[in-house]
Amino acid sequence: MKQNILLQLHPLTKFYFSLFILVIVLIIPGYSFAFAIFPVLVLIAVFAGVSKEFLSIVLKALLSVLIIVFIMQMFFYPGDHVLWNWGIFSIKQEGVDYGLLLTSRILAIGSSFILFFRMTEVRDFVKSLEDKGLPPMGAYVVLSTLQIIPEMKRQANTIMEAQKTRGVETEGSLLIRAKAFIPTLTPLILSSIAGTEERAITLESRAFSAPVKKTSLHQLTKSNVDRVLPIVYVLIIVGLLVWRFFL
Amino acid sequence: MTVMIDLKNVSYRYPVSDDFVLKNVSFSIEKGKFTAIIGNNGSGKTTLCNTIRGFVPHFYKGDLEGDVIVDQTKILDYQLGQLGEKVGYVFQNPFIQVSGVKDNVFEEVAYGLENLGVPVEEIIVRVEEILKLVKIEHLREKNPFELSGGQRQRVALASIIVMDPEILVIDEPTSQLDPVGTEQIFDIIRLMKERGKTIILVEHKMDLIAEYADDLLVMHEGELVMQGPVREVFANPEFEKYQIQYPHVTEIALQLQKMGTPLAFLPIRDEELAEALNMTGVKIHD
Amino acid sequence: MTELHLNNVSFSYPDGTKALENLTLSIVTGERVAIVGQNGAGKTTAVKLMNGLLKPTEGTVLIGDWDTKDYTTAQTSRKVGYVFQNPDDQIFHNDVESEVRFGPKNMGFDPERVDELTDWAMKLCGISEFADENPYNLPYSVRKFVTIASVLAMDSDIIILDEPTAGQDKIGLQVLGNLLQVLEEKQKSVITITHDMEFVSDYFTRIVVMANRQLVVDDHAQNVFYNTEVLEKSMLKPPAVAQMAKLLDFPFGILSKDQLIKAILTRRS
Repeated sequence: MKQNILLQLHPLTKFYFSLFILVIVLIIPGYSFAFAIFPVLVLIAVFAGVSKEFLSIVLKALLSVLIIVFIMQMFFYPGDHVLWNWGIFSIKQEGVDYGLLLTSRILAIGSSFILFFRMTEVRDFVKSLEDKGLPPMGAYVVLSTLQIIPEMKRQANTIMEAQKTRGVETEGSLLIRAKAFIPTLTPLILSSIAGTEERAITLESRAFSAPVKKTSLHQLTKSNVDRVLPIVYVLIIVGLLVWRFFL
Repeated sequence: MTVMIDLKNVSYRYPVSDDFVLKNVSFSIEKGKFTAIIGNNGSGKTTLCNTIRGFVPHFYKGDLEGDVIVDQTKILDYQLGQLGEKVGYVFQNPFIQVSGVKDNVFEEVAYGLENLGVPVEEIIVRVEEILKLVKIEHLREKNPFELSGGQRQRVALASIIVMDPEILVIDEPTSQLDPVGTEQIFDIIRLMKERGKTIILVEHKMDLIAEYADDLLVMHEGELVMQGPVREVFANPEFEKYQIQYPHVTEIALQLQKMGTPLAFLPIRDEELAEALNMTGVKIHD
Repeated sequence: MTELHLNNVSFSYPDGTKALENLTLSIVTGERVAIVGQNGAGKTTAVKLMNGLLKPTEGTVLIGDWDTKDYTTAQTSRKVGYVFQNPDDQIFHNDVESEVRFGPKNMGFDPERVDELTDWAMKLCGISEFADENPYNLPYSVRKFVTIASVLAMDSDIIILDEPTAGQDKIGLQVLGNLLQVLEEKQKSVITITHDMEFVSDYFTRIVVMANRQLVVDDHAQNVFYNTEVLEKSMLKPPAVAQMAKLLDFPFGILSKDQLIKAILTRRS
């Protein structure tokens, strides 16, 4: 998977691309352009080999939002051109237009960021931010949260096992399982609180606050493409702004 | 010989606690010595380790009296961050001792070196060497959170000795390990001693202490009640009253002595028993 | 009165990783068994099969006349109590007494019996003085006794202890030894996983040795600790007394300190 040219791009290059999409979608008026962005993103996802995950997240995370936003605007956006009427509900042309504009932008921007996180490991992204000056503590918080979630899941499982051995029924109907879930929370929270102190000591034992500049096994490299692409983004945006406001 | 660790009349109590956990403790440890701290649970061993490492008072507040001097400098004059390179600390609970930001053992072990700003090429060489030494090469790709207690203890030790500190403070490193694994850990500690490290170890396994350590500090209810070379401490009749395990061979020899059998000396290692009992005509293994 | 039978039991994880192969083992009422072997030998898997936390992929596990496949772990916990290796996985109350009380109360015993069992278990584990303490403020070795007490209080016929000796001092080991005696008088079966061979030779006569996910030998302590082949295969170290006896060229079979002392005195006279 790492062999893919698109995936090998520097995380910031990919991140700037998402920002670039955000800006151009806001600059260019109308919804047809913003809608046209989506197939382009799908194409990129296909080339990066992440189309399946990408599409499934877009469907799960965005589709319902898009439908709700569109319906709300269609009915409630103020306007004079009534297309359809039923009691207090009426669909107006302005509402449809605005709904399409809004959904097209949400779709383009939302999916460009989804694509970013599909194409970039959070670890790499955090590292690139660290290179840009994010303090190590900030990076630690983000990365440890990522690790702690699966760890807590594992621990919840073990605790659940421990409770079974104390006679707590955890198998069966939803109610039984819900009842079994509550007592697992106490040790989970207690042990993570007790754990924070020891975690802090662990970090300190590994010289976390050593007064030197840290190094990292994990190096991100910038290729020429990574240097050129951000410039291209900026040029296009400047061009679009000039076209929009001065021509 | 240079004194590496020097405690003078040290007393300490944790915040919001009425009782002192350390009471007027004084001792000094020379560079390159392997000192074992023994005593029953609750006697203050771990707090003593925390004090040498500077977590008391830099991390745990509370009242610290007396002087703690590490490598000629008072512990209060260090910043906590400076101590990481000087004093390596492997602590007791193996289940919590992971950085939480690395997703494989190799990176986990490398973490301390990254924090110390060691160049990447050197990190790789050093981590490789330590993985081999601690016999965890096969775990390099594993997630630290998915390891067993025994495996975690090895990783925790590796993560500290890779930083090559002058002083190693190790709190019960083998509690989750099988006998063979335990011996391997002691061999690593011995190797560290051969490399000139000053070692402080908390451990309950007296047979191994008798075999490997130079000196003993005996803690009892917060007080340092006995100190000296291992053999002298075990031979001192006072030791018995603290209800601490003897090496098994010593226990047997003492019992024989009580029953009227004369001892040439008090054995502390299995292979000394025959000689101590003057059992001539018996094949003595080396 | 509950017997435990494992018949040709194998276990693999859903991803196909084998954790235990073809284990056959019977433990009669009131028996005390030590399971020893290296880290990763399959000991914990074996005991998790005994209390139904894991269900065999092949073979059967019978607790009395219950096949563990037909019962939930919560049900089998009435017959088999299991103390986890890591106490922090198990404790879920803010004070020691509630933690110990939870098991018997949850089983619906009448209140008097719950009180009685709770007190008995705390006393036996030497933690009565900590009854109102938060378990998380206690040292690891004491937390371990809290978890042992909370399982003992459930009064099951079979009790499994996973590494109870880890981090224990002389006093802790004495408490454990005493507890084993009391449980024996009460005709409870106790299965203990441990790395402490002195503890094994002091308190156990039947030893089950495991290596590489299989049973190596299930025999009397003498036959295990004086069997070079078994020791090598399972990478075990005999207890100190056996090592001393060997150095003194005593014949086969000495395991306890008393035996060794007697042998030394006999030879000297």
